[in-house]
Amino acid sequence: MTLTLPGSLRSRRSAGRVALFFGCVAAVGSSSLEAQSLFNGVGLGVPTDPVDARSRALGNIGIGLWGTALLPGDPAAAAGITVPTALFTAQPSWVESTRDGTTAEARSTRFPLLGIAYPAWNLGTLTFSFGSFLDQRFSAERAVSLELQDGPLDATDEFRSEGGVSEIRLGLARPLTGSVAAGLQVGRYNGTLTRTLTRSLDGIDAEGSVLDFSASGRWAYSGTSVTAGASMNIGTVGRVAGSVTWSGDLEATPSESTEASGRAYDLPLQIRLGGTAVLAPGFAVTASFGSADWTSVSAGLGNATAQSARTYGAGVELGRAQILGRNAPLRFGYRRSDLPFALADGSPREIVWSGGFGLGLSETASVILAGVDLALERGTRSGGLIDESFWRAALTLRVAGF
Amino acid sequence: MIRIKFFALAGLCVLGSMACSELNPTSLDEEFLPPAPLTAEIRLGWDAFASNLEVFGGFGSPLELGSGVTARLFAGTLNARTLARFTGYPQAATVRDSAGNTRADSTLTFVGGWVVAVVDTLASVSSGPVTLSLGALQQEWDPRTTTWEFAVDTINDRRSWSEPGAGPATDLGMAVWDPAEGDSVRFAVDSAQVAAWADTLDLSRGVRLAAETEGVRLKINNVFLRLDTRSSIDPDTALVLTAPRQTITFIYDPIPAPPPDGIRIGGAPSFRTVLDIRVPDALTSPQSLCDAAGCPFALTVERLNYAAIVLRTRATPPAFQPTDTVNLDVRPVLLRSALPKSPLGTSITGGLGRRVGPDLFGSAAGAEIEIPVTQFIRDLIRGATATGATPPSTLALLSTFEPLSIAFASFYGPGSDLEPVLKLVVTAGPSVTLP
Repeated sequence: MTLTLPGSLRSRRSAGRVALFFGCVAAVGSSSLEAQSLFNGVGLGVPTDPVDARSRALGNIGIGLWGTALLPGDPAAAAGITVPTALFTAQPSWVESTRDGTTAEARSTRFPLLGIAYPAWNLGTLTFSFGSFLDQRFSAERAVSLELQDGPLDATDEFRSEGGVSEIRLGLARPLTGSVAAGLQVGRYNGTLTRTLTRSLDGIDAEGSVLDFSASGRWAYSGTSVTAGASMNIGTVGRVAGSVTWSGDLEATPSESTEASGRAYDLPLQIRLGGTAVLAPGFAVTASFGSADWTSVSAGLGNATAQSARTYGAGVELGRAQILGRNAPLRFGYRRSDLPFALADGSPREIVWSGGFGLGLSETASVILAGVDLALERGTRSGGLIDESFWRAALTLRVAGF
Repeated sequence: MIRIKFFALAGLCVLGSMACSELNPTSLDEEFLPPAPLTAEIRLGWDAFASNLEVFGGFGSPLELGSGVTARLFAGTLNARTLARFTGYPQAATVRDSAGNTRADSTLTFVGGWVVAVVDTLASVSSGPVTLSLGALQQEWDPRTTTWEFAVDTINDRRSWSEPGAGPATDLGMAVWDPAEGDSVRFAVDSAQVAAWADTLDLSRGVRLAAETEGVRLKINNVFLRLDTRSSIDPDTALVLTAPRQTITFIYDPIPAPPPDGIRIGGAPSFRTVLDIRVPDALTSPQSLCDAAGCPFALTVERLNYAAIVLRTRATPPAFQPTDTVNLDVRPVLLRSALPKSPLGTSITGGLGRRVGPDLFGSAAGAEIEIPVTQFIRDLIRGATATGATPPSTLALLSTFEPLSIAFASFYGPGSDLEPVLKLVVTAGPSVTLP
């Protein structure tokens, strides 16, 4: 597709969009992980999909959506991107957890996906993305009463786990025929994990003279992944896509000051399938499925166990809705996911109902030059004695230009 | 378009700002925590952590207290007398003349006066009315260095009192202070004595306040002179002017000698106790620690949570027993070879120090007093202070305010069943590992 814009206007618009995009990125800082949950403390944490707000609103795992997209889980979806595009997703969440009748609250904002797509002449579309993979942030406390020579002494143990695993991917997507496209991505896992146990001797009444005991370890993650995917448009009535991600070992390397050793985790093969059916002009339904068998990392997880995790999602998109005279497709979805790590008392599962809309801020010749997507999810996670309910929002800003 | 972009940007920034109020999910479940570390308390006896205990006296002067003490055979032993000197007399006064006008009169005649002593009723020990005597000093004396024996005791100038105890003194009469009636007592002074004290260059100028009733110890907060004055403008008008005290101090006998077997802190002049501290590299007890972490257990900075010197209070001789809270301070000795005049480091206890009630040096003696020294011990273990300097290994135990009172605090020393110990609280745990 070729757009014809006056040169000066083109450069001004492009510069403005880039400034807007990076201004927002600077305003919200940088982080790469999403989700907040007590399940972050079980096993390797909670896998988090690097998806945008549109996928969230549709209950989709990020594959098989109608149109072009920059989604790490659907490498072929970028094949149709004909102008340089960047997107950024912010995702605040509010969680209430209950375990054995004790309720705790959490809130956070994560940035699960930062992506850039660039049409590279006739090679296809080059993609770069920085997305989340595993969230391992949580903390835990226990009150202890120590028996010392002077008598009992109250103390508090606090354990904090900060960090997780994210993934940087470089990819290429290109059409193979008029309706079939393929994509390939090479990814690199990274991130750090800092785990700190602190004991505070609250019972000694000597302000400023009692020092906490602290033991900690810090590890850097590394590893490689390869994702291959293909998609096919079925005329103007549908699209199907699938992808597979192979991962090498996820290496956790201790820092010099860390006493504990490192470890390698054998990450599972991840399979994704998805599709969209356009049942009527402006009315489409989507469905997606993902699977990964995490039992390969179950060894050495202490009292946690790993299991096979499947995700199902479905949703509808009403494409002809408008807000303020602009296209604002409405979306609704449902998603059910198994969490791969569980305590002995049960297999956890996440169920989400979602809704949202998109808004094209600037559109030229059917190319969205600037747009936002918003999703709001209401979900529950339950497994054994842990029950969580949460609200989660997602906002994706997408800009494109020459 | 611009408006839409603005709202989009604002919305994104609002969402982003939520990251600033992050709250991690916190579990109270044991399953989410690694194995609990072990915390143990260890008490090291004197020989394991300290040596070279010495008590030094003579820090400060009773003059610095700004009050006096008067006692007679208190607790069967203590005699004390308050010495005071007044300022110069007022040179002028404002007087109303016969015409009713207010004028300054610089030709005043002092026809007599009263010496007034103000007693601290709470800090004084007596069982009833106390007879006090007032005398005028007859020889030169130095308020800063005077003692029971010496009127002046400065470098190259030591002069004894003609009679120990600031005597002899010209008798100016006696008066009875009854604690039930008030906090002050006064003595009449004739015009000749008032005139004698008017010469501010006279270094023998001063009064001596002594107790005649046995078994009492009074704290004298103030002594001043009330002057009966006649005005030249209106001779029929009697004025009362005040000559405040210029200085007040006290002398006492006997001066307690440093104890051979204990710790003494405070008094006037003050006592300080110094001791050398050492910390073992490793611990071999208690058994619970050895069972959990293995022995010898390396004593490291990371493992030490708390350290305190634990002292046991000892009954102070009755004559010098505190009547008010004692504030104990601990400071590192920066140059041990210069003791007793070594400079001291900053306070380890901070603020007002460790406060100890007076009864713990009398009826409730034997109580444990814990003085935290955690950072000092950590520096010794590390072999360096926070600034990288070699840490001092000698501590001085002293009164936070020096001097504060004639009374002092006493503690049991090494060799006793109640000798000082070093209390350590240490924690050790397994390494934090990956999930």
